[in-house]
Amino acid sequence: VGGTFTDVAAFNETTGELQLGKTLTTPARLVDGIASGVAKAGAGFSAATLFLHGTTVAINTLLERTGARCALLTTEGFRDIYEIGGVNRPESYNLFFKRHEPLITRDLRYEVRERVDAQGKVIIGFDEDEVRAVVADAVRQGVQAIAILFLHSYANPRHERRVKEIIEEAYPDLFVTASHELSQEYREFERTSTAAANAYVGPRVRRYLVEMRDRLGAAGFAGDFLIVQSTGGLFDVDEAQRACVRMLESGPAAGVIATKALCDGIGLRNAIAFDMGGTTAKAGVIHDGDVLMTGSTMIGGYATGLPLQIPMIDIQEVGTGGGSLARIEAGGALRVGPESAGAAPGPVCYGLGGSEPTVTDASLILGRLGVDRFLGGEMRLDLKAARRAMVERIATPLALDPAVAADGILRIAVTKMSHVVRWVTTERGLDAGEFALVAYGGAGPLHAAMVARELRIGKVVIPRAPGHFSAFGMLVADLRRDFVNTWFTPLATASFAELEAKYAEMECRGKAAVERGAGPAGITVTRGADMRYVGQEHAVYVELPAQLFAAHDRDGIKRRFDAVHGTRYGYSAPAEQAEIVSLRSAVTGLLRKPRFERIAQGGAVPPADAHRGSRAVYFAESGGYVETPTYHRPLLSAGNRIAGPALIEEYAATTVVHPGDVLEVDAFGDLVIEIRRS
Amino acid sequence: MNAATDRAAMSHGHRPDPVITEIVRNGLIAVTEEMKTNLMRTAYNMIIYEALDFTVGIFDAQGNTASIGLGLPMFIRGMSDTVKAKIAHYGVKNLEPGDVLLTNDAYITGSHLYHMTFTVPIFDDGELVAFSCCMAHWPDVGGTLDGATTDIYSEGLQMPIVKIYRRGEPNEELIAIIKANVRLPERAMGDFRAQVAAVKTGERRFLEMIQKYGRDAVLGGIEAIMNHSEAATRARVREIPDGIYEAESFMDDDGVNIGQRVPIRVRVEVSGDRMKVDLTDVSKQVAGFYNSGETAGRSCCQVAFKCLTSALDLPINDGQFRALDIVLPPGRVVSAQKPAAMRMWMTYPMTVIDTIFKALAPAIPEHIIAGHHADLVVGRVNGRRPQDDSFYIYLGGLIGGGWGAKHDSDGRNATIALNDGDTHNGPTEQVEAKYPLLVERYALRPDSGGPGRYRGGLGTEQIVQARHNIRFNSQMDRVVCKPWGLFGGLAGYGNSVAIHRFAAATEQRFPNGKALNQVLKSGDAYILRSGGGGGFGSPLDRELAAIARDVYCGYVTKGAAEKYYGVVFVPETNEIDIAASESLRAQMRTQGLPHDEPIAEPAVPQPVPHDHAHHEVHEQLTDEERLVLAMSCRCCS
Repeated sequence: VGGTFTDVAAFNETTGELQLGKTLTTPARLVDGIASGVAKAGAGFSAATLFLHGTTVAINTLLERTGARCALLTTEGFRDIYEIGGVNRPESYNLFFKRHEPLITRDLRYEVRERVDAQGKVIIGFDEDEVRAVVADAVRQGVQAIAILFLHSYANPRHERRVKEIIEEAYPDLFVTASHELSQEYREFERTSTAAANAYVGPRVRRYLVEMRDRLGAAGFAGDFLIVQSTGGLFDVDEAQRACVRMLESGPAAGVIATKALCDGIGLRNAIAFDMGGTTAKAGVIHDGDVLMTGSTMIGGYATGLPLQIPMIDIQEVGTGGGSLARIEAGGALRVGPESAGAAPGPVCYGLGGSEPTVTDASLILGRLGVDRFLGGEMRLDLKAARRAMVERIATPLALDPAVAADGILRIAVTKMSHVVRWVTTERGLDAGEFALVAYGGAGPLHAAMVARELRIGKVVIPRAPGHFSAFGMLVADLRRDFVNTWFTPLATASFAELEAKYAEMECRGKAAVERGAGPAGITVTRGADMRYVGQEHAVYVELPAQLFAAHDRDGIKRRFDAVHGTRYGYSAPAEQAEIVSLRSAVTGLLRKPRFERIAQGGAVPPADAHRGSRAVYFAESGGYVETPTYHRPLLSAGNRIAGPALIEEYAATTVVHPGDVLEVDAFGDLVIEIRRS
Repeated sequence: MNAATDRAAMSHGHRPDPVITEIVRNGLIAVTEEMKTNLMRTAYNMIIYEALDFTVGIFDAQGNTASIGLGLPMFIRGMSDTVKAKIAHYGVKNLEPGDVLLTNDAYITGSHLYHMTFTVPIFDDGELVAFSCCMAHWPDVGGTLDGATTDIYSEGLQMPIVKIYRRGEPNEELIAIIKANVRLPERAMGDFRAQVAAVKTGERRFLEMIQKYGRDAVLGGIEAIMNHSEAATRARVREIPDGIYEAESFMDDDGVNIGQRVPIRVRVEVSGDRMKVDLTDVSKQVAGFYNSGETAGRSCCQVAFKCLTSALDLPINDGQFRALDIVLPPGRVVSAQKPAAMRMWMTYPMTVIDTIFKALAPAIPEHIIAGHHADLVVGRVNGRRPQDDSFYIYLGGLIGGGWGAKHDSDGRNATIALNDGDTHNGPTEQVEAKYPLLVERYALRPDSGGPGRYRGGLGTEQIVQARHNIRFNSQMDRVVCKPWGLFGGLAGYGNSVAIHRFAAATEQRFPNGKALNQVLKSGDAYILRSGGGGGFGSPLDRELAAIARDVYCGYVTKGAAEKYYGVVFVPETNEIDIAASESLRAQMRTQGLPHDEPIAEPAVPQPVPHDHAHHEVHEQLTDEERLVLAMSCRCCS
């Protein structure tokens, strides 16, 4: 479910058939929106066995600050850690800097006398009556949810667990969340923030999901209801109601999962998932067949955002999209974004009141977008207005030709996006040039080839229905549970029995979770650890195959860590001791998935009816405008080859094939572009 | 077209391409960002990783700043001046590809010996085109651990400008000298590797940019970026009314001449599109370790200038400072000369900057802030871990303090002082896992924010218990000279440090903030308290609703609300009696109330309890009993 549209994809397990639908999101009745989308997709609830759902309800509640009134219960002496945070000032020279705004105000942050130390030993036990009194006061203040954070609960969750029980006994309707249920990793501010966010969105998400389940039931649905998490994995709706923050970034995650499925289908091991929309571009990575993950993120940006410490797909974002504004700043510098025209007023060419040129306007001026081809021709674009704005605001002040200015704007936007794409690879010590670029989202296909060339990427893949690609990702997702447990231990003395016990405990919980309900076709388990050299602060994630533990292969673990460190940071220190910071485990329950549908096979030459005329398109590499053929994507067949320059148009996207590049349609209808090495 | 772009046009014979310039600008930011991340994640010490006490950057062939990543703001000049010193030392013709230049010379970097500064000359096709540079704070460089220093020789290893790598080959003899002179050589070598990797990353990425866009385009782009920055800052200076603006403040003392104030006087002259900052009347260099070099004095002026003219403009580059003139004779406390002690170099410059803002307050009240706590509020601990007797050094504190209020909003609570930027405190859970310490409390200090129409931000308090014997040092300032208010706003609380001995009835206080060479036994605790920010405007003009919220949330106590804000509460409630408050406020206005107390009265020195109050009890307890009992004593105080 998106803000404007609800995408629906239906998969018939028997025939392997896939149906797609799209409907307006009806804010008042989200469930109605989905029901009508399901109907449009030609599917029915009663025959379905599985209902998969990705939703923005949690993230919107957080970003719009429309969540519940919450209280925080925390260790005595630490009620302010949530407000103090990291004390950092990222905008170091800005005297008017802002900080994160806690979701729970100070008057509702309560202290409880208790203490556990870093080894998990209880130093001071707590008084249950004190807890009851504190909670009674919070309830009098009208809270709907309570978050609990006690220091070192990752090492010993007993106090958090018992306090939660006490609250639930007294107030069964309160939404209660204890930090260790979401994160068993050290860093108390991040864990507080995670628990607080969960409490904040919890009551609303729970209401939404319960209503959805009831309506599905009323519509005759009797199967399993699963939700997409930020890991791209699915979890069942009961669990989703408790661990709501795990679904915050489900939309972007689903796009990366779709990319992984596409890669699996066409035999790509390394790819970058590149999603460009109206205001942002996002990048995730498939490396050696696996989606790269991260352990934390900042919701709302680095400078003033709220940290969330849970496993999720590592997706980096830059404020560059079709709506990004081009401006001349003080001093005469040309800038593109991060300010965006958004949906309203939108780019100048939409004719909705926008007056500043955007990336989309530049694409129109260069002929890459067609005046009468936008949204299948449903919306006519105003080229004249776009060109006028470009001339007045950019080209004339900089004494540039309007086309050169428009091209420059695209090049600036492209380099900015290429930095974020490069970032997701170099931060791991990988080389972007060795990856394929899978581009989707409304604007992805328009700019993908330029981004690829900037990064010396040789291959671009535009999947079918790039605008629906994220929705499709849900259908190819698996059940998944992630666990992290901080356990500071020198590798040299770590007990394999203890390691095994800790992993087994996580895996046991994971298997129980994914075996419920849907009943997976198989279960896989991955193990890993955050490790560092003794004395280092930052740890890196190292995947550790189970055999290493079975064989008690301490040196093997060390070698893998050295290798990861070497790749990532350019050096390793094999002679130095390593230590474990946290153990990580992911348990996946495999589900049946739609097969990618093959399209009709054709020859190298595209069918004549796919050719839809031509128009003048500006390419800097050709020195100006060149007459460029346009093709209607739905009529292309597998095996068709098209040499650039060319434009491939479909309902909500246009793919640009640059001069010298060659496009081939693969068996599944993906557009695969070989980028000429310049 | 302005003068700045004209100059670029002349020097290159053509107009710089605005598109390439913007691409290069984004590229430079990305390069320095990558250097920064690489360093942070590979560093061995918390000072680099959490405190982000480092700076990375790219410099042009003359050593001018092209881009520095956000690290330590007060080091805004440190690397450029160090690169220039290295160029002067060797001469351009004696620099070769593969060289890595190193120094920690305090009088070159302007700071202390902990700042190891690595530089790589970048060659394209045999020609020197730029430098990549990285400074990072090492946890130890030798020297005395505890107490005060009075010259540079007692502060540790001094590494003059050397080639630590010569044409790609490490100089093992120099490395051996470093290892022999630091207490934690393995950690030091970890940071060493991380820094070399960071400067090499900068070199590689910069060369890739040249490969892609061409050398002339990149170098011309850098010049155009500087010219744009210059033009933008000049335009902003032009908006400041011409005039001469002066202000004064002081540091409490230099740690040696106890109680002797150190004057900070600044003079700012604005004329057209130029600003001149004159630090001639800042105190002469001092006997204690609070001196900093000329580079730091110049950094003070540039940081203040950037805050006021180009706060958010990136990358940080020397074009931003062309409109700034600096007058700074040698021998001042921020232009100290050898062998002045420099270990706490960063403390005084923060107050110098705040004083510059104070001077400019009448000119641009909507762009400045009231005084902030202006100290890093650090506690330094060393000891041996009981389980294996291993030696450790822990830089505690960095707890954040209050920032000054502004013309339209309250000051920020609990934020790191001006010297640092994206510096993080260390998580309590990490500290307790790594060191035999227990953090008993980390909280905001109610009433610490200076009262005002807009209230100063709140300082914080951290209480840390020793779980075995440790040595503790804290060298704070701005205990006596509290963060000042502006336009009728009152001062916030000053910083302070105290020790609470096991089961003692009172805290041991340090009136000048210097707690040197203190031995803490298990069960004792040190207490760091950061000051609040100054208020802005009269507290009698603060909206009653805002005060009600402050009291409700506990940021301001009822007593303070009555005394400073003229608020009357309905008896036995937290509810404000509006009519009574209005009349009290009117009365206070006529009486010239509330009184500002910008200078803390020197506390009466207390007898130092040399032995533990309950020594016998202390010895009889188990470790756990002692710990719990110690916490119980403090929590009720």
